[in-house]
Amino acid sequence: MLITIDGLPVTAHAGDTVFTAAKRAGLTIPGLCTSEHLAPFGSCRLCVCEVNGQKGTPASCTTPVQAGMVVHTQTDRLVQLRRNVTELLLSEQPKDEALPATLHELAQSVGLDHVRYRQPAARDQLRDSSNPFFTFDNAICISCARCVRACDEIQGTFALTMVGRGFGSRPMAGASGYGESAMGFATSNCVSCGACVKECPTGALAEKTIQQQGNPTETVRTTCAYCGVGCTFDAGLRDGRVVTMVPADDGPSNHGHACMKGRFGWTYIYAEDRLKTPMLRTGSTWQAISWDVALDRLAYEFTRIKTESGPDALAAISSSRGTNEENYLFGKFIRCVMGTNHIDNCARVCHSATVTGMMETLGASAATNSIQDLDQAKLIMVVGANPTESHPVVGASIKQAHRRGVPLIVIDPRKTELARLATLHLPLKPGTNVALLNGIGHVVAKEALLDRRFIDARTDGIDDWLKAVEPCTPEWTEQITGVPADLIRAAARLYATSGASLCVHGLGVTEHRWGSHGVMALVDLALATGNLGKPGTGINPLRGQNNVQGASDVGCLPTFFTGYQALNDPALGSLHRAVTGRPLPTKRGMKTPDMWDAALAGRLKGLWIIGYDVAQTDPNLTKVHEALRRLEFLVVQDLFMSETAKMAHLVLPGAAFLEKDGTFTNLERRIQRIRKAVDPPQGVLPDWQVVCEVSTRMGYPMSYHHPSEIMDEIARLTPMFAGVSYDRLESPEGLQWPVPAVGHEGTALMHRDRFPKGKAHFVGVDYLPPGESPTEEYPFTLVTGRILQHYNCGAQTRRTDILEVVDVDALEMHPEDAARLQFAGGDLVRLVSPRGHAILPVVLSERVQPGQLFTSFHFPASDVNSLLSSSADDQSRCPEYKVSVVRVEPVEREELDADDERELEAVHVRLIT
Amino acid sequence: MSRVRLYLSNDTSSCAAGTERLAEAWRQRSGIELVRTSSRGAFYLEPMVERDSPEGRLAWCHVTADDLPRILAGDGGIPVSTIPFLSKQTRHTFVSFGMTEPLSLEAYQAQGGLAGLRKARQVSPSAIIEEIKTSRLRGRGGAAFPVWKKWDVAATTQADRKYVVANADEGDAGTYCDRMIMEGDPFRLIEGMLICARAIGAGAGYIYCRQEYPAATVCLRAAIRAAGEAGWLESGGQPFTIEVVSGAGSYVCGEETALLESLEGRRGVVRARPPHPAQSGLYGRPTIVSNVLTFATIPNILARGGAWHASLGTEGSRGTIALQLGGRVKQPGLLEIPFGLTLREVLDQFGLGMADGARLKAVQVGGPLGSLFTDAQLDIPICFDEFAKADAILGHGGIVVFDDQTDMLELSRHLMAFVADESCGKCVPCRIGSLRAREILETIQSGQATEADLSLLTELGDTMKATSLCALGSRAPYPVLSALQQFPVEFRSRVRS
Repeated sequence: MLITIDGLPVTAHAGDTVFTAAKRAGLTIPGLCTSEHLAPFGSCRLCVCEVNGQKGTPASCTTPVQAGMVVHTQTDRLVQLRRNVTELLLSEQPKDEALPATLHELAQSVGLDHVRYRQPAARDQLRDSSNPFFTFDNAICISCARCVRACDEIQGTFALTMVGRGFGSRPMAGASGYGESAMGFATSNCVSCGACVKECPTGALAEKTIQQQGNPTETVRTTCAYCGVGCTFDAGLRDGRVVTMVPADDGPSNHGHACMKGRFGWTYIYAEDRLKTPMLRTGSTWQAISWDVALDRLAYEFTRIKTESGPDALAAISSSRGTNEENYLFGKFIRCVMGTNHIDNCARVCHSATVTGMMETLGASAATNSIQDLDQAKLIMVVGANPTESHPVVGASIKQAHRRGVPLIVIDPRKTELARLATLHLPLKPGTNVALLNGIGHVVAKEALLDRRFIDARTDGIDDWLKAVEPCTPEWTEQITGVPADLIRAAARLYATSGASLCVHGLGVTEHRWGSHGVMALVDLALATGNLGKPGTGINPLRGQNNVQGASDVGCLPTFFTGYQALNDPALGSLHRAVTGRPLPTKRGMKTPDMWDAALAGRLKGLWIIGYDVAQTDPNLTKVHEALRRLEFLVVQDLFMSETAKMAHLVLPGAAFLEKDGTFTNLERRIQRIRKAVDPPQGVLPDWQVVCEVSTRMGYPMSYHHPSEIMDEIARLTPMFAGVSYDRLESPEGLQWPVPAVGHEGTALMHRDRFPKGKAHFVGVDYLPPGESPTEEYPFTLVTGRILQHYNCGAQTRRTDILEVVDVDALEMHPEDAARLQFAGGDLVRLVSPRGHAILPVVLSERVQPGQLFTSFHFPASDVNSLLSSSADDQSRCPEYKVSVVRVEPVEREELDADDERELEAVHVRLIT
Repeated sequence: MSRVRLYLSNDTSSCAAGTERLAEAWRQRSGIELVRTSSRGAFYLEPMVERDSPEGRLAWCHVTADDLPRILAGDGGIPVSTIPFLSKQTRHTFVSFGMTEPLSLEAYQAQGGLAGLRKARQVSPSAIIEEIKTSRLRGRGGAAFPVWKKWDVAATTQADRKYVVANADEGDAGTYCDRMIMEGDPFRLIEGMLICARAIGAGAGYIYCRQEYPAATVCLRAAIRAAGEAGWLESGGQPFTIEVVSGAGSYVCGEETALLESLEGRRGVVRARPPHPAQSGLYGRPTIVSNVLTFATIPNILARGGAWHASLGTEGSRGTIALQLGGRVKQPGLLEIPFGLTLREVLDQFGLGMADGARLKAVQVGGPLGSLFTDAQLDIPICFDEFAKADAILGHGGIVVFDDQTDMLELSRHLMAFVADESCGKCVPCRIGSLRAREILETIQSGQATEADLSLLTELGDTMKATSLCALGSRAPYPVLSALQQFPVEFRSRVRS
């Protein structure tokens, strides 16, 4: 529709306000309380306007457009009103200090040179510096409530509120208005997402790094290197250093939002203990060596092993945190130089079961839909995932959808934050996913909730599935899973009849003895109800690391080449030879757990690991450590001296994501650029250059001037990346694969008309029990997973001020169990499993059910993964992280090692409930 | 020997004026049956005791406990129908007041109650709205918006749920007619809400009652229970629930969007409009928020027809208005009259002039945000349009009469301080402006102000009027600026030259 603003014709859309229409047209109306991320509020009254035919001077930010309306925003009257409102705003600011820049500019823009009020009362002098990352100064606040609204509307945590009324109204965190005002943020349920800081127009909420180091003078757009959401950020730089990371408003997956880790957890790049030079270990002695010596040594050892024992004695584990280009190149190295397919990445221990499960049913193993589809879903089902902690920006989007009224089903043994909010929470026993999903399927079939048209047109094998779910009555399912039959029925009806049910799943589905089956059962359910290939539906694995999707996509898998192409495809083989000059090995390689077996058996002698701390994060650590010790030559490339690096013969320093160029692929298949913002420590090379150097030394010269050339090579070799190039990746949206041709726009929604292999395939799976079940000796089931504040092995987050929030892996125990065993919160306990033991402090938590325990694995001192078995999914070898049996014993303080690094006297724990 | 039935108001104002003391004193007395009724609203006569007679009720006024023998003897009572304050009124909404026991379903129906609801249930929802349109009823809470338009919007907006909310946050100083209805004739409110529910298709109702009205809350809850037991609480074949929610002491929660925020359990701050509550109100659903008095007016309109209602009052203001006359007049109390009498006629005919020894200085109509009238301005007809023309408001019908002892500067400061205290703190002009205005007035009081401060006050008032988010901020300057205009000497004599 057309409207007129200040005499200019302006095109407006339904839903626009005068303010948004004017802004889009490039017209400037002052406004401090309004934000594109927040609902119209209308509190600052600076954007007043006049509308022909209407009385008064309404705020343009709350005035909806109407076709043909004639609006004035700059009349003398309006300018005077604006000046007077500005004068009021200035009158409450501290008299003897410089005005916040925004207010200063505002005053100038409305021609206000002084405040006429004599001795006006100023705002209360209240300061809250208790958050590790930012401070609040009430004196320079304007009570616009953008911070409060950001916490409510964007993050959904409700940590902030306005308190007081009239002149005294101001924001506060938690209940600080009623006690310690200086401790509000620390004592509230704030999750430090930073949304309030970003929204604050005056700097009343301000980042500590900027206060200490100054405002950034330039920015570099890049992509976060924590979870798989792929939030884009503007790295703010000053004097060659990063001083802030601000989430980008045009970030396609985060739309300006972020979480504690991405927003504030980047300071590890300046940690004192960053590795800066290669280190060679002889016995227990470490020696710093030059890059030349290090690379020569690496090339020598790998050539020696290959010559003595053949290519199969060498393997590589690539980093799910590295770029696509680095990963591809590492794969190229292992295939072209070593001549084997023994390469794997961290996806093995997280979503490998998703890969097998989705490949077998759908023929493609990635999220079928996009994060934005959460806005179109009419029901959201979260299975075995805790997105508000592990994928916080997606978690916040789910909370936003739920607040809009979209029903939410959560299938999880734990009462996570989303489970607490959910329409239906199905608290199943760990390890019973297949039974529960089949039970839901049984109801869908029994109650004729099947989408017959979809099934007939798009799938085959339905009978196989119907046969599998037939015996799984809700009552039988209740017996197995512990979920009440009525809840199972209700969930089935909701999921099948919403019109658009979107499923996200996490490691609670995959990290099981029968993880691939769990994924298949989930896909079956979506197929049976027609919830695939349409907006707002789909099966969407929440990938855990920034580039775990990409590392697999570009071929760091022992079973596939780039783009999941079969290794034995003759056409691919010849293309590979044409492009690389070397044959593509066709024999499948070893998966990571197989590598441990091979090392223990003496078959594997040389291993190169980039950016992956297997010695802390893989299960059954005793076995992993033993395997690593058996190796003749272990090379580890990392930012820090990780647990794995400590066992290496040669350690190479790596460059962090802010120090290099490349691309990451997020959990919705979106390829996005990362850009070098700052230099790595003196002499440190990006991983891709290291690989090139070693390869060249081993007689296969690799030479690229820029990662973009590597991407071009990937595109040549990979049909689904055929249209990907750095030129196109300059756009903020990046590209979602498949991008099968140069002009192709990418694929936000997969399987719209057909599945890769034509029809999707139902695979009926039967419930089988987990690898182990509680016994008298080991009566508890231990579930492990991430918490909001830390990330995997913790190498990054443990080197930031996040430690002020959480500095220990805590054992969550239900109060009933604690009471029975006479443990109190803070008590140290010893967890004992058939494999090993670990000492942890107890925290009482109703997030776990009685008989279950939960802990994270972010701190090496906890040694949590020593408890776990080597049990894994048959098809994918994805380890069974989610089910281990343990018993709990009291620990006396005297028993502790003197060198126990944990200061257990005053641990910081923060549960997200 | 049969006991003598005595009628005694149970209304909070009456009780405060002494009826409760009488009830206490007479509770144990044999030979009498005390019936606690609603109040006639002639509070200047309280404590007033009535008994039946062949000529209708007889009244004894300013009664003390010792007057009982005289009353029992039938000595000295005057027929209620001869009390001019009451007989000159045109009571429709308040017709039963002083007559009935508030919680008696039988008495309510005997007085014509439920006729409106029965009528409403015989016709279609759109016919109800048509009837309200014919009545030309405008909202009685202050904004005077045509009631049918709101109902029409709510009725035609598609939603899974709709709500009816009675605004009982009667916060203007000197007003009490909502409280009288809730305490004295609660079924009339409930009936009005039920008719509205049927018209728009609502399934639930709330009565948001100010915390300072404990007796009204108790009475309403009892009435809702009784109505429920009698099977009244349904609409369109579905149960219609009504819940009484107590406010938390904030004046601005009488503003309909702040009320909705508070009702949702949140901080009572004003929402920007549009959307209007009729489109998106409680929990984002179409909601009719109307004043208690508006709902109480509805049953008669349905029972007697919209045309009947439209036949009363003036061109733009149909029906009757409930005025609450207070301050320094001889006869304060509630009066229901058709629109159209002048302010002076009301003061003279019902207030019977100034209290002994007092001389009129100013009259404030419409609560603490209402404009001030001087003696010379009292010939204004009481109706929405004339008041709007005069930059004044009828508000909720509160009239407070100030005498010549009143310090207009201090009154202005007091009223602005009230707004500064009660501002929700959301919009800048009200949050900061009300405090700045108070500060200027205090500077004038301290003798430190200059002419520049006075013109700044005027300019600030203009800014608040033009830019505030709701009526609290935009009306706040009116009494102060009208005081400054009408009584300039009281301000300027305190200003340094």
